Amino acid sequence: MTTPDENSSPGYATARAFCITSACWMVIGAFVGLLGATELIAPDIAKNIGWLVFGRIRPIHINVVLFGFVTPGLLAAAFYYFPRLLRCELFSEKLGVFTVWVWNLTLVAAVISLAGGHTQGREYAELIWPIDVMVVAAFGLVFFNMVMTVRRRTEPLLYVSIWYGLAATILTAAVYALGNVIWRPDSGALAGMADAVILWFYGHSIFNLLLTPLAAGIAYYVIPRVVLSPLYSHRLAMLGFWSLMLVAPQIGTSHLLQVPLPTWLKVIAIADSIAMAIPVMAFLINIWYTAKGRLGEIHADIGAKFVFTGTIMYFFASLQGAVMALPQVQRVTHFNNWVVGHAHIGVLGFAGMIALGGMYYILPRITGKQLYSRLLADFQYWMVLIGVVGFTVVLTIAGMTQGNAWLNGHAVYRVLPMVHVYYIVRAALGLMLFTSAIVGLYNILRTLLSNPGGTP
Amino acid sequence: MKMTPRAVVIGSLLILAAVVFVVIYIPYVTRTQTASAIFRRRTPTEAAGRKLYIANGCVYCHSQSVRSIDWGLGAERIAQAGDYVGDQPILLGSQRTGPDLSQEGGAHPNDWHRAHFVNPRTTRPNSIMPAFEFIGPENIKHLTAYVQSLGMKNAGRRMQRQKHWKAKAVEAYEAGPDANAHWLAENIPFGWRKIANPYPSTVAGLARGHKIYQDFCLGCHGPVGDGMGPGQPDLYPPPLNFTILKNRGISGGILYYQIMNGITGTAMPYFKRELESEKIWDVSNYVAVYFINQSDANHAPRGIDTAYEP
Repeated sequence: MTTPDENSSPGYATARAFCITSACWMVIGAFVGLLGATELIAPDIAKNIGWLVFGRIRPIHINVVLFGFVTPGLLAAAFYYFPRLLRCELFSEKLGVFTVWVWNLTLVAAVISLAGGHTQGREYAELIWPIDVMVVAAFGLVFFNMVMTVRRRTEPLLYVSIWYGLAATILTAAVYALGNVIWRPDSGALAGMADAVILWFYGHSIFNLLLTPLAAGIAYYVIPRVVLSPLYSHRLAMLGFWSLMLVAPQIGTSHLLQVPLPTWLKVIAIADSIAMAIPVMAFLINIWYTAKGRLGEIHADIGAKFVFTGTIMYFFASLQGAVMALPQVQRVTHFNNWVVGHAHIGVLGFAGMIALGGMYYILPRITGKQLYSRLLADFQYWMVLIGVVGFTVVLTIAGMTQGNAWLNGHAVYRVLPMVHVYYIVRAALGLMLFTSAIVGLYNILRTLLSNPGGTP
Repeated sequence: MKMTPRAVVIGSLLILAAVVFVVIYIPYVTRTQTASAIFRRRTPTEAAGRKLYIANGCVYCHSQSVRSIDWGLGAERIAQAGDYVGDQPILLGSQRTGPDLSQEGGAHPNDWHRAHFVNPRTTRPNSIMPAFEFIGPENIKHLTAYVQSLGMKNAGRRMQRQKHWKAKAVEAYEAGPDANAHWLAENIPFGWRKIANPYPSTVAGLARGHKIYQDFCLGCHGPVGDGMGPGQPDLYPPPLNFTILKNRGISGGILYYQIMNGITGTAMPYFKRELESEKIWDVSNYVAVYFINQSDANHAPRGIDTAYEP
């Protein structure tokens, strides 16, 4: 398969708007995360301010990072590569910009409602029904724009990134509606253990059917273009795509291995967690062999550098995920900070890195000017890299400490002082990431709005 | 295979539908709908408390799922699917930043929870839980009712025990220091009353007792052992003032027994899961030496010397 071709650049208003959205919400998401981390070491820091209590801060952090920072960052690049790969203009930039407004309105409503304690209390599926509907509508609008663009294409072949973009948006709309039990507006939940099953099916699918395909789509676009080389294998890309579609939605129950559920359901989750090696390695081998011997080009392009680092993080997140799904390992890793570390390497290290990479890749190309500051982008790269690696290290240590202590009969209360120091390091790393988010926002805003730089 | 838009969109939706049928729909139609033996419905107050539990994100730090491997954390009742049939949403939780709560009901009396919600560090000095004073006294009552319902019928039995002993504890407290000290001593098995602290009173042992006192006791009994810790205003009967116990026949064994098992009906919790035997003896002796000013360590016959002594 050949690399996608360049053609004349339209305005990319949607991609721009998603860039600004992502950069702004990254600042908010990182700040809220930092606040939550601080509350774990200084629990009275926001004492008796109800909307800042940890239990409300945590879902705000998760929802803002997932739907405010990472997804819009990934969609920004998608709204750039769709028209280019299909050799046509986007179906509607107006609709795209409207979607971004809906998106931001949804996020604001989400933050306000969660801060006010209006939640359905289900992890990753907290948002109340009216906001659920807005989220599904937003994904529907994105999908509609994408599919209509596909219909007016002049390029007959669909490149891999297009598959991933289409699948991610339509599947997320479906999975989101299903996982939030959208047909029950009052509770947004099923009763009993069935609720846990559908919840973790959804929670894991948000990563595997939204972030992973969108991030993979960017990697499949950016890496071949930057190294000026055709994709290593079309066949491998198909294997990676279809195996992801099949395997990924089956592993949610790996969160529920230690609760009373039928064993066959757990076996499916464990077997498929191991089977994730197929889509993961098909994708990574394809990307890495495409880039083989051309790492200099990747290093020279800050966007590609973020994206390529993201693929390496994906390797570690997936390896860790497969190991965590083994029941013997989960005896130690379940219910503690190990899982939090895993979430950070996946969402920030992989999807977040690639979202930033996608934005830094497209920004010079949609503005026709150099990035406002390559230095600041590099600074952000290192802050995010050190931050996410640091998170994973300290949270894994903290998690192993907790898990092993519990397994050896120590009460939760006695283990708190043992992990205190890791909570402090985690908050310090959070401060670093918050700083990097501000730097990124400044760089992206200057690049888009007030850029004196020359042509790239 | 040609990757047309139709193949991509319809193909991926069909695969998703097939997977959902297997891993969501089949478990749903074959789910357990029979309530377990301990199951009971929640009262309206408890249901209101559960809403507060959800609204304030308690589920992010507290699991409600005792696993078979939780042998050291209270696995007397391992979770069964039938325990959850009334839960919508289910609140299994994914983190144990704080302890599991599925069998929390009746482990403490209501006043302990009031003090704990107002500021968790009063009853648990190392706690990192937020203070919930902001939800107001009425909501704290609802939240307490919910937490006291966790464990359902088992919790109900424990709550009966709390009520029964609460009346006796209040009566003893109100009858004055002599009667109170007598009540605290007489309600434990006879053998324990006669046991002196079997360890010698050493500088290191007292230092250990000091540290344990700070981590576990100080919030209620106060830094000088007079029962005037920050938790005191919310608790009744109030935390014990150790300084009244001198010459009132409190042996090391009595202190040990009460710390190990707690005093049902009062805010005094049990510490047998958190403190190993020697630590309980150490903190008993710390209380005896510094606050009661009368310790039976070193005095009574000790039997064979312990294998290691400095």
